[in-house]
Amino acid sequence: MPRWGMVIDLDRCTACGACMAACKVENNVQIVPVDESERGRRMHWLRLLTQTQGSYPNTQIRIVPNLCMMCDNPPCTKVCPVHATYLGEDKLVGQIYPRCIGCRYCMAACPYSVKTFNWSHTEPPPGMDAILNPDVSVRPRGVVEKCTFCYHRLQVAKENARAEDRPVRDTDYQPACVENCPADAMVFGNLDDDLSLVAQLSRSARAKRALEHLGTEPKVYFLERRDAQV
Amino acid sequence: MSEPQRGEHWYRRGIRTLQFLSIVLMWVFLGGAIIWMVNLVGAARAQGDAITLSVGISLVAVQVYALVASVLTYVFFGLQRGRRGAEE
Amino acid sequence: MRRFEPSCTRDEALFRPTEETSRRFYVAVAVLLAVVLFTACMYVRQLIKGLAVTGMMQPVTWGFYIISFVFFIGISHAGTLISAILRITQAEWRRPITRMAEVITAIVLAIGGLHPIIDLGRPDRLMNVFVFGRLQSPLLWDVASISAYFAASTVYLFLPLIPDVALLRERDKKHRWLYEFLSWGWQGTPQQWKVLHRAINIMMIVVVPIAVSVHTVISYIFAMTLQAGWHSTIFGPYFVVGAIFSGIAALFLVMIAFRSAFGLKAYLKPVHFEQLGKLLLAMSVLWGYFTFCEYLTGFYGGEPAEMRSLLYKISGRYALLFWTMIVCNFVVPVAILSFRKLRTIPGILVSSITVLIGMFLERLIIVVPSLENPRMPFPTHFYLPSPTEISLFAGAVALFLLGFMLFAKFFPIISVWEIQEGRELGIAETEQRLSAYLPDEEVARV
Repeated sequence: MPRWGMVIDLDRCTACGACMAACKVENNVQIVPVDESERGRRMHWLRLLTQTQGSYPNTQIRIVPNLCMMCDNPPCTKVCPVHATYLGEDKLVGQIYPRCIGCRYCMAACPYSVKTFNWSHTEPPPGMDAILNPDVSVRPRGVVEKCTFCYHRLQVAKENARAEDRPVRDTDYQPACVENCPADAMVFGNLDDDLSLVAQLSRSARAKRALEHLGTEPKVYFLERRDAQV
Repeated sequence: MSEPQRGEHWYRRGIRTLQFLSIVLMWVFLGGAIIWMVNLVGAARAQGDAITLSVGISLVAVQVYALVASVLTYVFFGLQRGRRGAEE
Repeated sequence: MRRFEPSCTRDEALFRPTEETSRRFYVAVAVLLAVVLFTACMYVRQLIKGLAVTGMMQPVTWGFYIISFVFFIGISHAGTLISAILRITQAEWRRPITRMAEVITAIVLAIGGLHPIIDLGRPDRLMNVFVFGRLQSPLLWDVASISAYFAASTVYLFLPLIPDVALLRERDKKHRWLYEFLSWGWQGTPQQWKVLHRAINIMMIVVVPIAVSVHTVISYIFAMTLQAGWHSTIFGPYFVVGAIFSGIAALFLVMIAFRSAFGLKAYLKPVHFEQLGKLLLAMSVLWGYFTFCEYLTGFYGGEPAEMRSLLYKISGRYALLFWTMIVCNFVVPVAILSFRKLRTIPGILVSSITVLIGMFLERLIIVVPSLENPRMPFPTHFYLPSPTEISLFAGAVALFLLGFMLFAKFFPIISVWEIQEGRELGIAETEQRLSAYLPDEEVARV
């Protein structure tokens, strides 16, 4: 079974936000009204976070994508009272929307702040309901959601592989964010396949993961910028 | 002369039945709690979660409920028996 | 064996509230019902519009509801724990206090237990907890321990109530059926007394570990996550101490309220307040010690994420609330309760009010600042409770008062038979106990 992971090259990333937009459209993530958004309830499965390092005059600003790290030792699944978030057999952290009771414990437990909550449910703006992705559910209010590495695309890949009587290959599917990155900064694939690009990049000297010391074993690697001062 | 006595008799019987039912209700809750805990341990096994924690907590919780139910039952029947002692 | 018969003759004052209903009572009940009704409407509005009506947002995904939950469950420790511990230690001054304490626990547990449900995004899916529940989650530990505590404390309230209910059964003609039903055939025979005493003795011991486990488990909800400021090993004992602390303060408020409302000055004497006041002082010092340990450890270690949330509380945005909490929980109670001259009923009233405010602030300071300082550079927002959350808190308090008033309408708020037992048997028993401590005659003569 492939161990799906991602590598994001921060040298190539221009923080253009195409990945954010692609993810939102692909996964039917709710478009929150302006007043709700300003109160901190905007919904993103993938965000761009601004990291400030050092102090003036040696400040470095980095804008880094933040998505579900698909931890191998997820702190969020430990605390869910109803098994709505769980570590699946693909080693992907899944979310069962119909089961979630909205207690938001997993949100408090996630150290990466990647989970998002449907504080309310608003209908899409006029015309936007036409672009809803039929492969992905629309979540009701009161449930937690997060990046799934576009699991619906993996399901299609699995079915194709089964139809062709072969195992799922490393290049069989890509999440929407990886597919849409104009700078090719994101690489996705099977971390356990030594021949795959993602596995090789994940072992590069520049590769590091966020909050590694917490022992969550995230599967999203970041390639440090070559001019990093830290 | 016997009419008010008969009414009194049914009244007492009604009260006794209600009291007995309240004890039964408590054991029903205990039974429900046991079924629930067993269900959760089974679910943990099916999902591959750590079972020891589930079993451990179920044992402790069910013991507490059972103890409380037993104390109440002891008091109920103890009081009934004690009263019959006074009547004799 | 018990050789006394509780009678209705000497303690008329304790039975009066159950028999006479003043207009003040009806007015108070009406006002409280109005508040509760308004709160219910606000909750229905939340059910319709979703949790957007609260002040919560990302990253502060837990707010007033969880704070109130911890606060109310904390107050529940007063009752049963104090009543049980005082019974175990055979402290004779407990007699007028135990019933009130036990009632506090029963009501406040029910109210507190509702709060996680109010906080849920999908309360209609509550059955999922029973069908798909995971006992690995601290929330399920909470469900188990709070329900166990509720069962144990309700029984612990009920058992000593039986002889009093029997007394009421003899007096009251209006609700006789209720008292018949609840008295379980009590007649005060020696065998019945033996059964009752044995059962109370078992429960008073059993209740203590359950009560300690309840607030420990609630603290685990926070301590078992990796949030900076939450992942601390001291949380278990810290929360238990804080709970007993806030519980005693709430008990004082109830004692003072009933003392004046029902004219119970003869029963709740300054000496009772003195003794319990010393306990409140001890808990205040203990709370201060735990708080000091917690923050010194975080500060000395200097771990970046921990420091961010710690400095945010001590000198950052939450500084005013933090230092108010220290003053309310430590400075004021210790200053007032350390001096006998100030350990009067007005002094205790002031201390109790400040302690309750301070303990609510403590829950707020534990929950929100850690969430407002996530590890990742997340665009943070600042939490302000919305009108819905505030009205739900007010409604919970109103429900608590309402429950208490209704209880006091039907049952004596001070345990009548225990007072009479204290009069007739307590002094002799205490004398016996004390003389057993003194040296034996033969040894002394040498």
